[in-house]
Amino acid sequence: MDTNVAFIVAAYVIVWGVLLAYLWSLRARGA
Amino acid sequence: MAENHPRGASVLQPRFPGVPWVRIRGWLGIVAAAAALLATSMALAWAPTDAVQGDVYRIMYVHVPSAWLAYLAFVVVFLASIGWLWSRRPIFDAIAVSSAEIGVLFTGLALVAGSIWAKPTWGVWWTWEPRLITTAVMFVMYVGYLLLRGLSTDFERRATRAAILGAVLVLDVPIVHLSVLWANSLHQLPTVLRAGGSPALDASMLLTLIISVAAFTLIYAYLMAARVAVEVARRERLWIPT
Repeated sequence: MDTNVAFIVAAYVIVWGVLLAYLWSLRARGA
Repeated sequence: MAENHPRGASVLQPRFPGVPWVRIRGWLGIVAAAAALLATSMALAWAPTDAVQGDVYRIMYVHVPSAWLAYLAFVVVFLASIGWLWSRRPIFDAIAVSSAEIGVLFTGLALVAGSIWAKPTWGVWWTWEPRLITTAVMFVMYVGYLLLRGLSTDFERRATRAAILGAVLVLDVPIVHLSVLWANSLHQLPTVLRAGGSPALDASMLLTLIISVAAFTLIYAYLMAARVAVEVARRERLWIPT
């Protein structure tokens, strides 16, 4: 892995984290 | 219109009686999750390292699908808006607001992932160049679309205003996509959907990107099914026609 691994991890964690959070919010709204 | 849609009658059930929507949505969620796992594995472990950028280019596999799904979501807003204006069937308004909300989500993710990719490759988190500006404008316009919907409590008036806006705002989608061709741009030119040639991408990178886009599309479909269900249930609670 190169020295930019932190950028890769940050991008993936944010994208998948936000999608999961949105899904969780839909479930909280009754989906 | 309300008398044609008695309270408690789901928007989907009368037209497709006997279809097990909850079970279909459950399977869609499982398939979407499996596709997401496959796409992430391929993106981080299988796709080769880029000769110029090294591994940081792997951000492409979340950045590009997010941007394409934003396009798709806003095209769906456009189609649903036309559907409402044409037929006045409330399901089209529910689809439009759901797709707009999810489209804003994907646009935001494309901007954030792009910004994280920009820092190690361009040296800056943000720069005022055509693709970034038009994408940011698209984000703000659809946030405005969602805010506009809150200005009126009259269902028909709100749906019609939103539909007119939703039908017009889609014009920004080709502007965003082609902005890199119309002006000097720091952003990469279209790599896959480009005129007059095959994708300018290594075969294994292209396959990984296609799988990633497919996974994001399944996730969009699953989120849409859940969001439309929330919208329909909310309207039934509030006695708004569904």
